[in-house]
Amino acid sequence: MTSEKRDLRAPPPVEPLPPCAATCPAHTDVRGYVHAIARGNFEEAYRIAREPNPIPYICGKVCAHPCEDQCRRKDVDEPVAICALKRFVTERHDLGLGHAPGLSCAPPKDAKVAVVGSGPGGLTAAHDLARLGYRVTVFEAYPRLGGTMQVGIPLYRLPRETIDLEIAPLKELGIEFVTNMRVADVDGLFADGFKAVFLAVGSHVGARLRLPNADLPDVWLNTEFLRRVALGERIDLRHRKVLVLGGGNVAIDVARTAVRLGADRVSMAFLESDETMPAHPWEIEEAKEEGIEMFPGRTFKECVLDEGKVAGIKCVKVDFHGFKPDGAIDMEEFVDTEHILAADLIIFSIGQGPDLSFLPKDGSIAQTKRRAIQVDPVTLATTKAGVFAGGDAVTRVGFIIDAVAAGHRAARSIDAYLRGVDPQTVQPPDPAKLGTIQQKTLDHIRKLDREPLPKTDAALRRSTFDEVEHGYSETQAVRAALRCLTCGAGARVDPDKCIACLTCVRVCPFEVPGVDRGTAEVPVDYCQACGLCATECPAKAITMTLQSDEGVLRQVKLAIMRARSGGEPGIVGFACRYCAYSGESPEVVKAALPANVQVIDVLCSGKVYALYLLKAFEYGADGVFVAGCIVGECHNDKGNVHAGQRVAYVKKMLDDLGLNGARLEMFNTPPGECASLVEDVTRLASKVKELGASPVQPGRSN
Amino acid sequence: MIKAKQKPIAEIKALLAPYRNILILGCGTCVTISFAGGEKEVGLLASSLRIASAMDPGGQKIFSEQTVQRQCEWEFIDAVAEQINQADAVLSLACGIGVQALAERYPDKVILPGVNTTFLGMAVEHGVLVERCRACGDCILGLTGGVCPIARCAKNLLNGPCGGSQRGKCEVNPETDCAWQLIYDRLGKLGQLDRLSSLMTYKDWSKDYDGGPRKIVREDIKL
Repeated sequence: MTSEKRDLRAPPPVEPLPPCAATCPAHTDVRGYVHAIARGNFEEAYRIAREPNPIPYICGKVCAHPCEDQCRRKDVDEPVAICALKRFVTERHDLGLGHAPGLSCAPPKDAKVAVVGSGPGGLTAAHDLARLGYRVTVFEAYPRLGGTMQVGIPLYRLPRETIDLEIAPLKELGIEFVTNMRVADVDGLFADGFKAVFLAVGSHVGARLRLPNADLPDVWLNTEFLRRVALGERIDLRHRKVLVLGGGNVAIDVARTAVRLGADRVSMAFLESDETMPAHPWEIEEAKEEGIEMFPGRTFKECVLDEGKVAGIKCVKVDFHGFKPDGAIDMEEFVDTEHILAADLIIFSIGQGPDLSFLPKDGSIAQTKRRAIQVDPVTLATTKAGVFAGGDAVTRVGFIIDAVAAGHRAARSIDAYLRGVDPQTVQPPDPAKLGTIQQKTLDHIRKLDREPLPKTDAALRRSTFDEVEHGYSETQAVRAALRCLTCGAGARVDPDKCIACLTCVRVCPFEVPGVDRGTAEVPVDYCQACGLCATECPAKAITMTLQSDEGVLRQVKLAIMRARSGGEPGIVGFACRYCAYSGESPEVVKAALPANVQVIDVLCSGKVYALYLLKAFEYGADGVFVAGCIVGECHNDKGNVHAGQRVAYVKKMLDDLGLNGARLEMFNTPPGECASLVEDVTRLASKVKELGASPVQPGRSN
Repeated sequence: MIKAKQKPIAEIKALLAPYRNILILGCGTCVTISFAGGEKEVGLLASSLRIASAMDPGGQKIFSEQTVQRQCEWEFIDAVAEQINQADAVLSLACGIGVQALAERYPDKVILPGVNTTFLGMAVEHGVLVERCRACGDCILGLTGGVCPIARCAKNLLNGPCGGSQRGKCEVNPETDCAWQLIYDRLGKLGQLDRLSSLMTYKDWSKDYDGGPRKIVREDIKL
């Protein structure tokens, strides 16, 4: 039963993170904010999402979300829509509460730090250093702030107001921004009194193949084209046939931008096959929806001219195998496949790199062989003391969230460096990641459709730079959040209390627990956090990471106080987070309940253990209910059936004690009918009113 | 293992009526596994009794909760001596052995049983406990195909079945399998049906309770 697992009786040296958080370069607590959305606590969700990320509004729209690629629900159906949920919490957030609620600032320090570049890496480092009290100046070469986010990402993916919204609070932190300032002399910054420098200059120089005629005016570069459009130049591509060379995400941006500038026809040609095209699948799909034609598996020989003007590109079909370690292309050309793809405007989008012409000529800041800034991978220190670098200037190409992570790393190093501490010692270790879920557990997990993100119709969006994607409604967001498997937040066994009674093994709907060497173990890699084992364990040896009994009982006391505060009999409910609200926002449903009803969300109605019900009455509740779904709909097989059995048991106990068992009810809400819960609860409230206040008064018992 | 069942709440209330400070003491082994007297059941019973007490105009009781690993061991019950001494009465949720161990160790203390010790048995499925052994002191399972007619036949027959065996069920309770049918089926599978052709002689009941309380002394390991 345990052959493929580590010893789970001893906590692992580093608690493994869910794959989403472990994969996120900034290690965002995805599970935390998704769980908060599911509970309807949208501000808490924002706070969690914001904490490791100073640009959550931007990431909610354009993050490449590597987290979703690793989400373990993909092994059941499709990943949780994590990025869309981040977007939802930012859209719901009340900025009146501040951009970074709960984050503190250290007292001001004298030391000045220069950040070169205002992209995601530069902004993050500036943000962190400013919070640490440093005087930070950000230098930006272009007239507007945001780096690639401003001059690279097209408007239809990221409206510029979103960038402004992130930068305004950074200005309030006291960060000084200097635009139109291309730093040409790093040493000069030290002469100006800066004690440390972070180079986050990004990767803004597009690459061009050395083909015959590739230097003609109608052969453009990706970065330059996107930058011109982003900075407001009105380029007219009407009556033009545009061919984009390249199959990456930037190439897609270029092609879709060309569509919006009125081009007659836009197509893309690239080395890779349809299947191996490097752009994200959803980007490819949207591009195709907008009428962009794809020519996969081509290598390019020359730009073809007609009367001195670009008329197309001569191609040969290839089988592309990838890049060799030295960067050379590994491919086979097919014989007799030479042909011409017609176009009167060709845009190269085959890669890009940083402009490093500003580095000191003496080589004191070393470059890599691939023409990027050379850094220590742990500290991001360059070869020059006090100078650090990160983001695309180091990696050449990366995601926004990679740059955010680099910004944090650089800020920690710079702070250490300025305090005279070795920056090697201040970086947190890489987190461990939960493994995959065993097949027999996957087989028991309920499949749930992924909520698609609303989009503007392709025909409408071809002529506008308005945003293509739109956010979730509250109901959609809650449904999307409820698909989270809450990985790694499951049951923990106390081996000192466990008596290996096998109860957990028998009640788990997912075949997760086992008993080995006299103790139960619930492998953290597989546990689905339903809580049934913890509820049934007769030795109280199992606790739930997400919801402890003590925590629930504290909530019960508070809920009774609130429920009774209006003078009416107080009713406390325990509602399954999945089903009781039938996918509606818990807050909306709760608002529809009578004022003397307070609801506590639980992992599953099956998690409601008889003690919660008895304690509620002991603490003075006048009525109590448990709400779950109808039989056959439970996410955890029969959690709702177990709940019903316990309610029946406690009802009888209450009768035996002389406290009317009718004060306790179990409600089963059919899918999509949250009104039925409201009706049931309202009926219970009237019945309890008839029965009058409970004879058990708080304070009378110990 | 020893299986037990919690007493009805009314009976427990009556037992506790004269006392104010009550320690509810669980046992962490057999009764925990039989969902009768472990830490979880201690909590449930304590909460129930607090509810009852809060409704009782006759005065409030104070309930404290504790669970030891095994109440049938001096060392484990000594570990909670302080709580036991502070209580007016101890409601033990252990089997009868634990209750008596407490009574013997704390001669001045009122020790009350909260469960009915029911049988030696096992869980055939979660929540379903069945009797399997009567601790008769003279095991004959080797003769009966591994099915005990003492524990599982209402008449303790040594040479069954009786005429009340109907379609494999017992006349005493139609839900109970006839032990002798089970024995017959098992011996058949084992190819030992010939065992049934010889009569079993009378059983030495002196090794059972009929010989008075039993005792095992291992001279080889005594300290």
